[in-house]
Amino acid sequence: MDLFKKTLDPIIALAIIALLDVFLFVIVGAWTVGGGETMLAGLVAKYVLGAKTLARIPFWTLVFTPTWAYWKIYISLGMGFGAFVAAVLSKEFYWRVPRHLSEWVMITIGGLLMGIGIRLSFVCNVSTFFGLTPEMNLGGYLAVSGIVAGAWVGSFIYKKVLEA
Amino acid sequence: MITVTGQCVAAFIFGSTVGLLVQRSRWCNTSALRDAMLFKNYRNTKALLVAMMILTLGFTGFISVGNGNPMRFDVGINQFIGLFLFGIGMVLAGACTVSSWVKTGEGNIGALWALLFLIIGLFVSSLLWSFTYWPPAPATMTGQPNLAALQFGFADALTLQQKTGIPAIVFGLIQFAALFGLYRLILRKERAIQTARGQVQPEAAKSSPQVDAAMPEPAIGAVMAGGAGASGSYQEEA
Repeated sequence: MDLFKKTLDPIIALAIIALLDVFLFVIVGAWTVGGGETMLAGLVAKYVLGAKTLARIPFWTLVFTPTWAYWKIYISLGMGFGAFVAAVLSKEFYWRVPRHLSEWVMITIGGLLMGIGIRLSFVCNVSTFFGLTPEMNLGGYLAVSGIVAGAWVGSFIYKKVLEA
Repeated sequence: MITVTGQCVAAFIFGSTVGLLVQRSRWCNTSALRDAMLFKNYRNTKALLVAMMILTLGFTGFISVGNGNPMRFDVGINQFIGLFLFGIGMVLAGACTVSSWVKTGEGNIGALWALLFLIIGLFVSSLLWSFTYWPPAPATMTGQPNLAALQFGFADALTLQQKTGIPAIVFGLIQFAALFGLYRLILRKERAIQTARGQVQPEAAKSSPQVDAAMPEPAIGAVMAGGAGASGSYQEEA
């Protein structure tokens, strides 16, 4: 199939995703990732620490009660699965490992900042661009301003690290 | 009403399709912002804007006829602060929430590492929340402004429709026009860059609409070389 030989035009890909997202919005809710990842964090913590310890942290009883019956988890897992299938079919699956220590450090700090940011704002980049802003939510506009400012600062740091 | 299992199945099908399309198109939210700022490359930014235009019309259209499930939570200053931190983090990690899953699916250990620390970050903030109880949990949200907690209440196309009586699609069309304006601006900028590089004559740019879509060759080459999304320096060395 041609799809697995050539790179797809991102405009076509994103237009299809947008149409599917409208459909999802009608049946359950707009595309989001942060919520599912929070639930996954809760499930992992429940497995590692045990249900009793987790129950002592108010967040996991008042805001998110860990459960597998939460649709947003399956969007995240689906993305990994879909990408795996696409990568295997197009012979692009291979192990890629960051080589330099600086990369590992940047990824670690970046990952932590993303997690803290998601929790603080109750939204992630996906719900910002593909949920809240198209719903014309004021929170979406605040979030877009935040992510653009953050990406600018991040790019500045990234550039400094690349030059160093 | 759709059952919980139905919701999960629909979400998985949606997610898998997204994963496949994002992997094949090498789209990445991080590079949509970072490449535009650092390298003046708008490949991913344009796709993001097209998706947002379609979504704005789709969402506000369904809200107008009383359909759809908009997110209902209090808007607060925390959305700006949180996404500011997220923005820095995604550029440093070279992956956003989408591309970290997609790249993990492709066998990228760096992306899996980012995902692991994202989950650790989520857990750390859940501990912090348990001390501060801020921002308020969705269960306690009233939809009314609560300035002491820096929350402004619900504010979206649905509340606009309820308060003004004007269908949400009208506001949606205004936002569509704004996004389209931004898209046009990017096309004009791309053309200016191409002209400056001497790849396209200004007359040719005017007469042929196809030039709009064409990317400068070196830029697209760089995108391909970078693997999925061309984001993250660790891609190039893999």
